[in-house]
Amino acid sequence: MALLQTNEVVKRFGGLVAVNKMTFSVEKGRIVSIIGPNGAGKTTFFNSLTGIYTPEEGKIEFNGQSLIGLRPDQVASAGIARTFQNIRLFGSMTVLENILVGMHVRLKQNPFDILLRSKHFNDEEKESEEQAKELMAYVGLKNVGNELAHNLPYGGQRRIEIARALAANPTLLLLDEPTAGMNPNETEEAIKLFRRIRDDKGITILMIEHDMRVVMGISEHISVMDYGEKIAEGSPKEIRSNQRVIEAYLGRGAAVAHERKQ
Amino acid sequence: MKKFFSDLYKKANTGIWPIVIALAFMVVGAVSVYQSPRSLTAFLILMATPMILYFMKMDMKVKVFIGLMLIIVILPVLGIRNIFYLEVIFQMAVFAALALGLNIVIGMAGLLDLGYVAFYAVGAYTWAIFGSKQLSLLHSIPGAAPADAPFALAPQWFWLFLFLGVGLAAMMGILLGLPVLRLRGDYLAIVTLGFGEVIRVLALNLDKPINLTNGPQGITPIQRPPLPPEGILQFLRTILTPIVGHPPTDAEFYNVMFYFIALIIIGIVILVATRLEDSRIGRAWTAIREDETAAIAMGVPLVKMKLAAFAAGASFAGAMGALYAANRTFVSPETFSFQVSIGVLTMVILGGLGSIPGVIFGASAVVLLNIQILQNFSLYLSDLRQSDKIIPIINFAWKDLSNQLDPAKYQKLVFGLILILMMIFRPSGLIPAERRQRELGEDKIEEE
Amino acid sequence: MKQIAENPVYKFFLFPIGQIIVFSLGASLVLSLITVLLAYIFKFNVTDFDLVERTLLILPQVVINGLTIGFVYSTIALGYTMVYGVLEFINFSHSEIFMVGGIVGIQLMAYFEHIGVLSTMNEYLVIGLAIILAMAISGGLAVTVERVAYKPLRGAPRLVPLISAIGMSFFLQDFVRLILSLTTGEFNVILPKFGTFDEFWVIAIPAMANPLRIQIKSAIMVGVTIFMLVLLNFLVNGTKVGKAIRAVAQDRSSASLMGINVNQIISITFLIGGALGGAAGVLFALKATKLDPFSGFFPGLKAFTAAVLGGIGNLTGALLGGLVLGLLEAFSASYLGIFTNGAFGAEYKDIFAFAILIAVLIFRPSGLLGETVGQKA
Repeated sequence: MALLQTNEVVKRFGGLVAVNKMTFSVEKGRIVSIIGPNGAGKTTFFNSLTGIYTPEEGKIEFNGQSLIGLRPDQVASAGIARTFQNIRLFGSMTVLENILVGMHVRLKQNPFDILLRSKHFNDEEKESEEQAKELMAYVGLKNVGNELAHNLPYGGQRRIEIARALAANPTLLLLDEPTAGMNPNETEEAIKLFRRIRDDKGITILMIEHDMRVVMGISEHISVMDYGEKIAEGSPKEIRSNQRVIEAYLGRGAAVAHERKQ
Repeated sequence: MKKFFSDLYKKANTGIWPIVIALAFMVVGAVSVYQSPRSLTAFLILMATPMILYFMKMDMKVKVFIGLMLIIVILPVLGIRNIFYLEVIFQMAVFAALALGLNIVIGMAGLLDLGYVAFYAVGAYTWAIFGSKQLSLLHSIPGAAPADAPFALAPQWFWLFLFLGVGLAAMMGILLGLPVLRLRGDYLAIVTLGFGEVIRVLALNLDKPINLTNGPQGITPIQRPPLPPEGILQFLRTILTPIVGHPPTDAEFYNVMFYFIALIIIGIVILVATRLEDSRIGRAWTAIREDETAAIAMGVPLVKMKLAAFAAGASFAGAMGALYAANRTFVSPETFSFQVSIGVLTMVILGGLGSIPGVIFGASAVVLLNIQILQNFSLYLSDLRQSDKIIPIINFAWKDLSNQLDPAKYQKLVFGLILILMMIFRPSGLIPAERRQRELGEDKIEEE
Repeated sequence: MKQIAENPVYKFFLFPIGQIIVFSLGASLVLSLITVLLAYIFKFNVTDFDLVERTLLILPQVVINGLTIGFVYSTIALGYTMVYGVLEFINFSHSEIFMVGGIVGIQLMAYFEHIGVLSTMNEYLVIGLAIILAMAISGGLAVTVERVAYKPLRGAPRLVPLISAIGMSFFLQDFVRLILSLTTGEFNVILPKFGTFDEFWVIAIPAMANPLRIQIKSAIMVGVTIFMLVLLNFLVNGTKVGKAIRAVAQDRSSASLMGINVNQIISITFLIGGALGGAAGVLFALKATKLDPFSGFFPGLKAFTAAVLGGIGNLTGALLGGLVLGLLEAFSASYLGIFTNGAFGAEYKDIFAFAILIAVLIFRPSGLLGETVGQKA
């Protein structure tokens, strides 16, 4: 059974149908990408998955549990963590605190623990600090734990965002254009990191990405969206030669030219 | 010039010097307040001591020792000599606690609450109604109360009502929060403002159909918690008489007692605020303040956490309300106007949103400004009015100055100016919040 | 059909007036019906007299009072809603801009009285001059306030300019008090007695026991506000400046790319909003007859409520919201006491507005007619 399964999900804004009958699934342990031109509805679909938007129609099931109607925090507790297209860190908190916020769903301290500084509280804080340090090292950040997040360079902020998402020990990690704005070196590093996350931690990854090197390089399965609909899906190889995809990306003329070339 | 001072400060901030400076300020301040209890300068010198203790480098134990000396010994003694100072410090403590509570709501969680005074009123009226004769006057018209009506409860009940005030205010916070916390920030501000007014209008008008609040006249007398047993008082009298020059009266003992109660509460409040700040809850609040969408995507339940912030902030106000009612032995709706909410907001903004030391400083500074500096300025002006002096260039005789011009009554002007100027020039406050730096065992790369 | 819609007489005169009439009548009718219904429900509560009869007896007068104050609220609400439309920010100090308008108007009349010409001047001319001066000063003040306290904060987090605006509101209250205290030694200003507009037109209506009494100044208030609403409608929908204002409200950065001077448009928005507030201040002063530097606060809050009620950022909404709020206030002031048999009375009318505000925000946060600006993420 698929880890995430959506069935004919529809999200409208007034008259505009942003996501139209998306039926889509992600198998456990895979790296899956959603691609598509700007405005194709990819981020809206992500937001519908994570509870930021409530879809008007359709089903979303994760690990056998319906996500429809859950609030974003409940979706997060269910085991889906995410990053954002335009980095959304808690700028004036330290890097370490950002990661600790990511752990919110699995910390158990209650107000009495907090006010009385119980042993449970101290142990948990110490342990989570350790884990946060490990996560920082894992995503390749050093000596930044006490820095304010907004003082870090762009690439560093991307990494913190991933570390923050990992802090929740998710089953599924959603990455929204995780390599946008990175230089080729950074992109290379990022690809390695995503592979490691899947391979070491067994976390399933679903990402939206524009950079075809990234998509083709690590995706095991790709779905293509255009005008809110899924127009194709398959392995990178299949997608590369799919007529509709080429049309959607480059227009009809280019598709014809592509055909001729072959 | 700037370099000269910063060098000087660096030099003064090393070795034994900070201790010497702190002690010097404390001793000079204490002696001069003792000598001339009415001098503002003397009092300001004394009040600079805690600032020095906070900012300058010295051993923690020394800091605590000097601080305790100041608040447990010196201030009460000086306070018996001139009761006014205890009043100033009592007010500072009350407002610091209010400001710390509001700081949780606005500074940490980023929710602009303009009706904060409502929770203060709830705490105050809770004890006012039960700690006065009001319960036996429920069916009499305000002002027409029989003089021999009994008190409903013994004064000892105050201690229970201190906690009840906390609980009730927190409950009100949750009740108000439930419907309105889904609103966006600026709407929340207006709705809470409205709520503050609703509570005030209720206090003003709930003298009918049953006389719960005694209307605009307010409730009095409200009982104070009892003084310590006579034996202890006798002992204190013998010690204090030679020092302050007269045997302390019961009124003075009451003031000292309230001063200590306020100190204990503010201590608890500071402890609670710092502990909350540095925990899963505090981090969730800051995350909400920084970016709600990201926070909720990380699994932070927005409404629950906002409610917690509202309740925590409200509970501080509830405690201080009950204390205030007992201290004044009188409450009236006028005490709980919108202006008080903005006053507390001003303290938080002046000191620094989210900054616990900043907020305490802000509260102290605004209280001092309000009840001492403006007051002194008023006195100075009225002196001038009675003199024959004129302002030279424009040839204006001071005695023609309008009586309406009483700086002590221009608090709104002061609050307004502080808010505008701080927002434009220093939005993070005079003592901005700092994130906790942890020992992470990482090799810190030195910048220099 | 389209031709009619494009006809300037229709578009800028008949349509807005028609809209005002429909709103006034509609809101009055709906609220009256609800009230009568409530009267039947609460009938058991009152034994001394027939509640329904009493309700109907004073109903026309209550409606008139409500509409009169409702139009004033609408005019103030427009100031809030215009600024919100353009900057997405609650101009908290607008209530003081309104108060300044009222005080300036009264001071001008007092000045005429002082130099001894008030009794000889045409009373409508006096009111007209007072309104014009108040509009000029309030408009100028609004622009100044924007330059000083809001402009440096553009782009800061949402709460920052709001706190600055609250500070400005407080500052202005005491600053006006300071000026009044220094110049006149007294900070209450009282409307001098002149003219005949305190008198009533008495209109007998055949089917009713009591004749309808309309105070002339109520008619002035309604007339002037309708005139200004029509003017504003023309300004916003029929001129180049109005187009620019709407463009900035839609999308500030695109507007600026299109060559619109955004700062200038924001200033103009504050100027128009402030001028409307000033005029409303004078009209309010006619009714209240006594103002002090703190009298702006409650009407301001209610007008803000009206703006939210109608849908903030929506000019038509402000009109409707103001009327509904004015009516609700008049109804609650007159009927709360009667219906509850004296347990609660008119003293709760001020918080009635807040109750409505809270209810609207909870159940329909976009207001009766919907917002025109959403929260930009």
